[in-house]
Amino acid sequence: MRAACATLLVLATVGCAPVPSGAGGGPPARVVSLAPSLTEIVWALGAGERLVGVCAQCDYPPAVAALPRVGGYLAPSVEAVIGVRPDLVVVVPSPGNREAVRALERVGVRVLVVHDRTLDDLRASVRALAGALGLTAAGERLVADVDHGLAAVHARVAGLPARRVLLVVGHSPLVVAGAGTLQDELLTIAGGTNVAADAGQAWPQVAPELVVARAPEVIVDAAMGTEAGGHDLFAGLTTVPAVRDGRVVALRGDALFRAGPRVVEAAEALVRAIHPEAGG
Amino acid sequence: MRASYLTRRRLLATVVALLAALLVSIAATSLVGPVHASLRRALGPGGPSTPDYVIIVRTRLPRVLLGAVVGGSLSAAGAALQALLQNPLAEPHLLGVSSGAAVAGMVALIAGADPVSPLVPAAAFAGALGTMALVYLAARAHGRTTPHAILLVGVVCNAIAAAAIMLVNAIASYAQARGVLFWIMGALSTQSYALVALVAVYALAGLGWLVAHAQSLNLFAAGDEGAQQLGVDVEGARRSVFVAASLLVAAAVSVSGMIGFVGLIVPHLLRLVLGPDQRLLLPASFLGGAVFLVWADAAARTALGPAELPVGVVTALVGGPFFVFLLRRRLARTLP
Amino acid sequence: MTPALEAEGLVFAYDGRRVLDGVSLRVAPGELVGVIGPNGCGKTTLVRLLSGVLMPHAGTVRLAGRPLAGHRRREIARRLAVLPQDPHLDASFTALEVVLMGRAPHLPPLALPRREDVAISRAVLARLGVAALEGRPLDRLSGGERQRVLLGRALVQEPDVLLLDEPTTHLDLRHQAGIYDVVDAIRRERGTAVVSVLHDVSLAAARCDRLVLLAAGRVAGEGPPAAVLTAEALSAAYGVPVTVGWSPEARAPIVLARGRSGV
Repeated sequence: MRAACATLLVLATVGCAPVPSGAGGGPPARVVSLAPSLTEIVWALGAGERLVGVCAQCDYPPAVAALPRVGGYLAPSVEAVIGVRPDLVVVVPSPGNREAVRALERVGVRVLVVHDRTLDDLRASVRALAGALGLTAAGERLVADVDHGLAAVHARVAGLPARRVLLVVGHSPLVVAGAGTLQDELLTIAGGTNVAADAGQAWPQVAPELVVARAPEVIVDAAMGTEAGGHDLFAGLTTVPAVRDGRVVALRGDALFRAGPRVVEAAEALVRAIHPEAGG
Repeated sequence: MRASYLTRRRLLATVVALLAALLVSIAATSLVGPVHASLRRALGPGGPSTPDYVIIVRTRLPRVLLGAVVGGSLSAAGAALQALLQNPLAEPHLLGVSSGAAVAGMVALIAGADPVSPLVPAAAFAGALGTMALVYLAARAHGRTTPHAILLVGVVCNAIAAAAIMLVNAIASYAQARGVLFWIMGALSTQSYALVALVAVYALAGLGWLVAHAQSLNLFAAGDEGAQQLGVDVEGARRSVFVAASLLVAAAVSVSGMIGFVGLIVPHLLRLVLGPDQRLLLPASFLGGAVFLVWADAAARTALGPAELPVGVVTALVGGPFFVFLLRRRLARTLP
Repeated sequence: MTPALEAEGLVFAYDGRRVLDGVSLRVAPGELVGVIGPNGCGKTTLVRLLSGVLMPHAGTVRLAGRPLAGHRRREIARRLAVLPQDPHLDASFTALEVVLMGRAPHLPPLALPRREDVAISRAVLARLGVAALEGRPLDRLSGGERQRVLLGRALVQEPDVLLLDEPTTHLDLRHQAGIYDVVDAIRRERGTAVVSVLHDVSLAAARCDRLVLLAAGRVAGEGPPAAVLTAEALSAAYGVPVTVGWSPEARAPIVLARGRSGV
């Protein structure tokens, strides 16, 4: 299922190469962002006042709450987007928005498609957005800020042994972060080793017994819902070091799931979970 | 060639054989999983403190047992519904009850309940019961129901529920929407023997209730009037079977999401082998469905290496082609 | 003597259209009463009212002197059996399983067939000449074989009253005769009262003790076949010129519709 989604994502991108602005003249002044991560990037580039529409899931920074909503992250509304007369739409490919992107391009709206699955995606999308917005220098500064921030976080755990970590994103079924994900990268930066990195999928569904066999030292529970759920799920796995030593840590918030400027915050939160002794 | 009628001996022999197959399946699949665990180490000295013990006794066995109960419930409900509605395509999720459970469970999830907390199954169960009452009342006119009306109302309820799920997905956050979709797709996952025992007692009571109406279900084959003329209180029997089947489905869906095809395939297969007599078919479907789902879940656990497949994917991949095979066989037999 | 089955002043309407309008009928133990009449005259509705699957809007049906409405469904099924015109069938049941269903009203709901139930059912299949087919699923039987199996199901109910709704419609002459031969034997042996709806007026004349002619929801004639089957009455009821002859061998009238261009 997840593999199929990933395939669709890749397929969706093929048909959606960015189209140069036909409107001509200066950088776009009216921008629509169709992904929470891209909204955060546009804001961090200092172009927040150019946003004229965002997706329903865009919730950061809090100021975007006042902006018009133009449909969901997975299924934007073509009419609503056109209605705010954007001269640039930025979007992350998904199976649900492929047709919408095509429709926007057909009516001559400039659409910029970028990815948001890894740190490299983040750097590339920051530069692409900055270029499109005529803020190339701000883009380079933002990339450098993020890289410096991550390097500083990593420096705090540099002397410490890497801990074996399981990063949980769903409880029933049990879904965890695998290799090739932003979360896997952040986990490594925060001084962890992902015990599910060999599962062969980005978001593998695993049996609880795999948790027992892999014996993680820390379980980071980033699933939505109450903390009690994670407790029920792992409490019985008494041979797992994380459970034995009380290192099942709930991590709330969206920063960990967005390839945006807040990845540094997410990495810091992971350090607190994985290496509380590193302080900070 | 099957026997020309159901004797006590054949009933007992079949049930005992299937029960033995179930016990063997439970034992065998408890030793199958994405990681190796040694039963000897688990039961040896210091066993409870070994990972092997935790794997087999705390995670696998409760899951296998839950699979048996859920598979049995769905399959027995499917057999009963096929007879009740006189429709070979009837299956547990057709009644609308599952969608009611899904919508209520989804609302609980969106409201912030964790999928492994008891709140979600409780909400799902309540949703299932509510939908059951709704379907029954909507399908009733002048104190009577027809299989036709029950089917139609069930299908409409499913459509409404599917729309409600899509609606919530459109307005919920991405993470929430994804959580809901995974939960609905179905998974057998529990470490609680108490939950398994609760669902098992409940499922056996439901099965008993159905078996008590097995003869009436047989006589439904003569049509509503035919069944009445053979002494069946058609409306009462229909209500009883509808409620019992719905309760079985409600419990199964509440603890495991919508696992498809078990309730369609297993009764059909057993009907081909054992004949249509519900007095045999109902208990046999329960045991056969339990065996089927226990093995399907073992395949789901192991097929992809450390990662696992949703069990619904396995039942559909095995069940879908098999169903087409059955259909073709039936066509070949009935068409000249 | 109490009639085995008695209907008085039956009125029934579908959507306000009266299908039966004051029909009365009685049948004594061992008697065979034939119900004839044109299509749509209410024959099948009458059978459904007599078997209690429909409730009359006015009038009563009495089974052994007690109103049908006061009986439980199982009680009725122990005393009254029906061979329906268009039986619903799950074709995967075997012939013996179908016949055994007729024993259901005599068994507790959870019980499997007892040895005696199987013996009774096999005896009936043998009497109907289909004993060899007991293990065959219904969809492997011919129309005539199926009809006999269904009659078998009604007979093992061991009813006091047997309702037959056009039991021979799809049968050839030999099987038509065979069905009524078995019915006659059962009447003699058990004193079973039989009400049979018939399409074939000549067959009705040959086999029935008495006939009831229905037309437009009312009784247009009742009595011995020779009294009911007059050219005038039949022409009026069926709306077509009719010739009534006489068969000395059958000692019964023979009826032939001439058609409008007639002889």
